[in-house]
Amino acid sequence: MKSKFEEVGLTFPSALWLLVFFLIPTSVIIFYAFKPGDLYGGIQEGWTLDNIKNLFTPHHLVILWRTIWFSLITTAVCLLLALPTGFFLAQTSLKNRRILLLLIVVPFWTSFLIRVFAWKSLLHPEGFLKKTLVFLHFVNDDTLLLYNAGAVLLVMIYTYLPFAILPLFTAAEKFNFNLFEAAMDLGASRSQAFYKVFIPSIKPGILTAFLMVFIPAMGAYVIPDIVGGINNEVLGNKIAQRTFVDRDLPEASSLSLALAMAVLLPMMVIFWLQADSDKKIKKKGF
Amino acid sequence: MSDSLEFDKVIKGFGAVKALDEISFSIKKGEFFSLLGPSGCGKTTLLRLVAGFEKPDSGRILLNGQDITNLPANQRPINTVFQSYALFPHLTLWDNIAFGLRIAKHSKEYIKKEVESMLALIQMEEHAYKKPDYISGGQKQRVAIARALVNRPRVLLLDEPLAALDLKLRQRMLLELDLIHDEVGITFLYVTHDQNEAMAVSDRIAILNRGKLEQIGRPIELYEAPQSSFVAAFIGDTNFLDGWVAEQQIKEYSLLSIEDFPQVICFNDKKLSVGDPVHMSIRPEKIHISREKPAEKPLINSMQGIVEDIIYQGDHTKFGVRVGGHRMTVFQQHSRFLLDESPITWNDKVWLWWHADDGFILERYQVIKENEMGRSFENTLQEQN
Amino acid sequence: MNMKRFSFWVTFAVLVFFYLPILMLVITSFNESRFGGVWRGFSMRWYFQLFSEETLWKALKNSLLIGIGATLVSSVLGTLAALSLHRYRSMLQKAHYGLIYTPLVVPDVLMGISLLLFFVTIHLQLGLFTIFVAHTTFCLSYVTFVILSRLQTLDHAIIEAAEDLGANYWQIFWRIKLPQLFPAILSGALLAFTLSIDDFVITFFVAGPGSTTLPIYIYSLMKFGSTPIINALSTVLIVATFAIVWIVQSITREQK
Repeated sequence: MKSKFEEVGLTFPSALWLLVFFLIPTSVIIFYAFKPGDLYGGIQEGWTLDNIKNLFTPHHLVILWRTIWFSLITTAVCLLLALPTGFFLAQTSLKNRRILLLLIVVPFWTSFLIRVFAWKSLLHPEGFLKKTLVFLHFVNDDTLLLYNAGAVLLVMIYTYLPFAILPLFTAAEKFNFNLFEAAMDLGASRSQAFYKVFIPSIKPGILTAFLMVFIPAMGAYVIPDIVGGINNEVLGNKIAQRTFVDRDLPEASSLSLALAMAVLLPMMVIFWLQADSDKKIKKKGF
Repeated sequence: MSDSLEFDKVIKGFGAVKALDEISFSIKKGEFFSLLGPSGCGKTTLLRLVAGFEKPDSGRILLNGQDITNLPANQRPINTVFQSYALFPHLTLWDNIAFGLRIAKHSKEYIKKEVESMLALIQMEEHAYKKPDYISGGQKQRVAIARALVNRPRVLLLDEPLAALDLKLRQRMLLELDLIHDEVGITFLYVTHDQNEAMAVSDRIAILNRGKLEQIGRPIELYEAPQSSFVAAFIGDTNFLDGWVAEQQIKEYSLLSIEDFPQVICFNDKKLSVGDPVHMSIRPEKIHISREKPAEKPLINSMQGIVEDIIYQGDHTKFGVRVGGHRMTVFQQHSRFLLDESPITWNDKVWLWWHADDGFILERYQVIKENEMGRSFENTLQEQN
Repeated sequence: MNMKRFSFWVTFAVLVFFYLPILMLVITSFNESRFGGVWRGFSMRWYFQLFSEETLWKALKNSLLIGIGATLVSSVLGTLAALSLHRYRSMLQKAHYGLIYTPLVVPDVLMGISLLLFFVTIHLQLGLFTIFVAHTTFCLSYVTFVILSRLQTLDHAIIEAAEDLGANYWQIFWRIKLPQLFPAILSGALLAFTLSIDDFVITFFVAGPGSTTLPIYIYSLMKFGSTPIINALSTVLIVATFAIVWIVQSITREQK
């Protein structure tokens, strides 16, 4: 009934497409990373480790460090904001839930570029927000709200927050809120119940949310480009610069490899953590 | 009456577990036949083998004499009513019922005629153009039956079709099923774990336990003449007493010695001799209970006991009475509103008596066999107590 | 403080945070003045200027073309992929699953540059076609997962019921599986279309000269162009998005 032939036939179209347009391009990057570049934006014969070595120059290391640092802060703040939000959504009435979810998701449906631009406008030195803050004496006239790390972080958090809210909400929705009452019945206070019962049971959601923010954040390009200015470059910017401005494809490739590694590592850690907690559950015999 | 379905040494295993262990029996044409047994006994597996969703590891299945063991499900002239009804959500009730006919490429006129007569049979004409989401559970069940029957299958398979309905609806639907069966006349193969259901409508019942066939017979045969202690315990309530044959009294009646219990006379159709171990069963409704001592008569067993437990059930009361080292379950039907004697209450000394014909003997070795296979009937007993 | 109260205020703050910039943008687009800081009166002049921009319309046309193309191809491929992932459980499918899952976790930049290098290596000219290929590639994974999740919640008893009633594999596919999957396929297609229209980074890497899409046009305006027009454009897009979402919501609510 279920022949191997049918299976291969069904799998073939999508597998072939991704093989050609995803797997092979990925290998091309690895290939390019070990080739010397020429002045005209192409590659030369032979192999070299120069591109990899160049990754460890202070210039690049600073950028790598900044990329990781920005991503971690963004992820942390997103998780901190998304947890109460997901919690609130999960235990509010169904009607409210639908409206609130819609309200959260709709801005996400508008163009990403436009939202970044909106912030650039908002934080503009001649903009409304700046003038109000100067008026309230929170800032000086010559402080820049734009083109600094704060602006980048702000807009990154703004962009990736929905990615944290949704998985946390999904996990919180599955949570049986009767457990709260059970915990309090056994003597726990409300916040104890929150930390000892709620948080552990939505741990998978937290891990998912972490990945869904951290990985895109590591690959950020547009946000630092538009609101970060020259001093806040991250890996994404560097890769684009090497590709389009410097026309140094091999180095762009090696930077890409660095980015890929930086993304792969936390993913593996998270998967290991998830598998570990699954193992623990199996051991306890649930 | 020829055989409609026949099972010939059917074996089916899932991994290490044998779901069906050499099942052989046959079902007559037009019978309302039930497969009864506890969870995991293999009844659903057997049904799925008949439908064609699984293949047996060995053995054959014959339909009207023809071997259908290797025939794929969609080519068998057999239709199933699923436990979850499995109505197609995106089609109207009309289209659901017409589905099989359309696949079989019948003419438009034929389909129209058949579907409409089915809708009339299940009294759902005015709902024909609704989708399954908009009708109730009982209605869904009727549509599922119609969808299967309209194809005029040789056998209709029903997989616990009433399980999802509440009590009153279940009772009503059971009657309807019976009526439909009478009207349509084809063989019904009905799977259930509810013995009352099975006994109410079946012509014959097969009791399965752990993949093996325990007994086949008409409901009354299974109830009054169980061949194994499993069947005796599974169908209805019963009291089990272990002992051995003390002496042969009148022909066909033996006197049994039971530890910690008075001697009893019992009908001995198993031709056991003195000294043979026995396993005696006496059903609670066959035992009489009263404060007054009954008249001494031959073939009447009578004894005294203390009332330990009383459960009032409305139409009868279930007593737990201690006699010697045993606890006897006794049913007393409330046939009159006010009794002549004052109601029996806890710790009362009462008399129990029953006729020797009402007890039945099962050979004790069957008990040991059950013990070896797993404590299935012991558990059933414990559940009843 | 009460957990509920606290979480309510956080949610409220988050929502304000979300809508503040959008609101500002909409208001500013009607500002007569060039600079957002000073309000010089209500004006529609930026909208008029916007609609006479030829490059805008060309970019929009390109985006729509690519969007429709990528949606169609990724929907077909994604449906096939979901069906095979659901039906079979072999090593092939495990590899297949990995292949489909990975693009979802790869950052845009990596995907963009890898495709660029690939196209350069095989000497394929960058243009609308390369953008279309890139979009189909990342849309494929999303569509697959939307349909796969629907397949997993499908009541499989109805497949058996169809078999029981005499249907063969193809009949089951056309009469039962496909109609049941249709809402999911539509959902996936909508998702793919949205992702394609909105994509910037990957498109930026694989676009050629003359193959501007809407996001690229917006980016160039942002970097080099006139600010007030972007406000007007943004407002138009925001209103359009809200309108579409509202319409879709009313339709789905009506169906219920």
